[in-house]
Amino acid sequence: MLKLNQVHTNIGGMQIIQDISLEIQKGEFVALLGSNGSGKTTLFRTIAGVLKPKIGTVEFDHVGIHRLPVHKIVELGLVLCPQGRQLFPELSVEKNLILGAYPLRSDKTRIRKNMDRVFEFFPILKERLHQHAGTFSGGEQQMLAIGRSLMSEPKLLLLDEPSVGLAPLIVKLIGEVIASISHEMKTTVFLSEQNANMALNITQRGYVLENGRCVLSGQCSDLKQDEKVRKAYIGA
Amino acid sequence: MELFLQQVFNGIMFGSTYAIVALGLTLVMGILNIPNFAHGHLYMLGGYVTYFFFATLGLGFWLSLLASMIILGMVGVVMERVVFRPLTGQPPINDFIAAIGSLVFLEAFALAVWGPQGLRITNPYPETFQFLGITMTVQRVLVIVAAAALIVGLHFFMKKTVLGATIEAVAQNREGAMLTGINVNRVSAITFAISTATAALAASFLSPIFMLSPSMGAILGMKAFIIVILGGLGSIPGAILGGYILGLIEALGGGYVSAAYKNVFAFGALILILSIKPTGLFGKKEA
Ligand SMILES: Nc1ncnc2c1ncn2[C@@H]1O[C@H](COP(=O)(O)OP(=O)(O)O)[C@@H](O)[C@H]1O
Ligand SMILES: [Mg+2]
Repeated sequence: MLKLNQVHTNIGGMQIIQDISLEIQKGEFVALLGSNGSGKTTLFRTIAGVLKPKIGTVEFDHVGIHRLPVHKIVELGLVLCPQGRQLFPELSVEKNLILGAYPLRSDKTRIRKNMDRVFEFFPILKERLHQHAGTFSGGEQQMLAIGRSLMSEPKLLLLDEPSVGLAPLIVKLIGEVIASISHEMKTTVFLSEQNANMALNITQRGYVLENGRCVLSGQCSDLKQDEKVRKAYIGA
Repeated sequence: MELFLQQVFNGIMFGSTYAIVALGLTLVMGILNIPNFAHGHLYMLGGYVTYFFFATLGLGFWLSLLASMIILGMVGVVMERVVFRPLTGQPPINDFIAAIGSLVFLEAFALAVWGPQGLRITNPYPETFQFLGITMTVQRVLVIVAAAALIVGLHFFMKKTVLGATIEAVAQNREGAMLTGINVNRVSAITFAISTATAALAASFLSPIFMLSPSMGAILGMKAFIIVILGGLGSIPGAILGGYILGLIEALGGGYVSAAYKNVFAFGALILILSIKPTGLFGKKEA
């Protein structure tokens, strides 16, 4: 479903992502692990088209997308739920969600249906329907960001560090929702995390980034045993 | 009392124009993050285009107004595409310089085509009537009514339509808007078109009342800029209220003291309001 071929990405003349190749099949649930500054966000922004790779190709459903504008990539069904959430702070929860369904804007019943499903995951969003997103706590904003990215029924969802800066209880809740997005909704999910514990417990396999390079990949059960991963990311 | 009411009426009329021009400036500012300093000059061009259709080609007032709005809307789209879009992602000073360049060009263009002398279109509605003891012309009432209708219409457009919501979304978080599948370039172009077409509307309604001159854009652009600061940068209600307040201050100050000092009152009010509330009337707290 997603295929990266020797992708290099520069920011301001600096090579941030170096020679990354990876592949994700339809229905998979994959983790992208790495410490702060290892390049997870830059890689995700490259896949979503916000940044363009200097060298290399990104294919989605066998179509090269690395030269397409971001909104075209969203229309194809690849949606990034970004780090920092990037919500519309002075718009209500409802409008944030409606705009999340922008590619489906002519289909009001589908938007309703998708919104109801988001409320099943995060009932608090329904209670706060008319409140501005900017008045929310970090955890609530993260819920809204995930909800917004589900509104257009993505085929592939990239979730960039959804647990960063949140309380353990919220992290647990969000982890459960992400797991059910993968299992119940049959959405292919690519999850980036510094918090390897959470990610390795819910995903099937993972890639480990260091200094913009992929240094390790494999099944989660193996990664959990790996001495380097344990030391660096689990703290055990 | 008559003088007071007469000046309030005039103030609301000036204020209507200011409110619309400032509204257009605020909308585009949300997209560019700097004020488009050429906005007053686009207003000026709108007045001349109306003059061209009305006085030169002899079309009716309403048709000329419509033609002017359409043409200025297209000018807005071209300006976004050619002048500002290539500067996306560069430091704001570049947009700033581009806007100054545009206004110099627009003023020189109007000067070359229509000359430096003031032009005026014949008033299509010169009838006067008495109301509450003050004299009103139909044209001036029309300015007030049209501005109010436009403001209400724009409000519904922004708050009740998806397209309106995308304009707010792009202003509040450009990358977030892209990631929801919004074509931000298209939204920028539409925002410019709305901004320039509404400026043309305001200019068309005022062109039977005031002389057109190539330099009128600079003064109005400066005032719109004041209003936008007064109302709180980027705030739509602030721009509207600020427009009416500035119109009233000018009319009352001009009526009771001296018309020669009306700009003194305008700038004085700006300094006063900003010293009390540095972020403007509707300004947000610094993030
Ligand atoms: N906009 C930027 N400008 C300059 N350097 C950046 C920018 N974004 C990221 N970087 C650099 O790229 C590297 C990877 O950052 P990032 O992709 O955010 O990593 P992660 O998401 O894994 O924390 C870091 O060294 C960071 O300093
Ligand atoms: Mg990151």
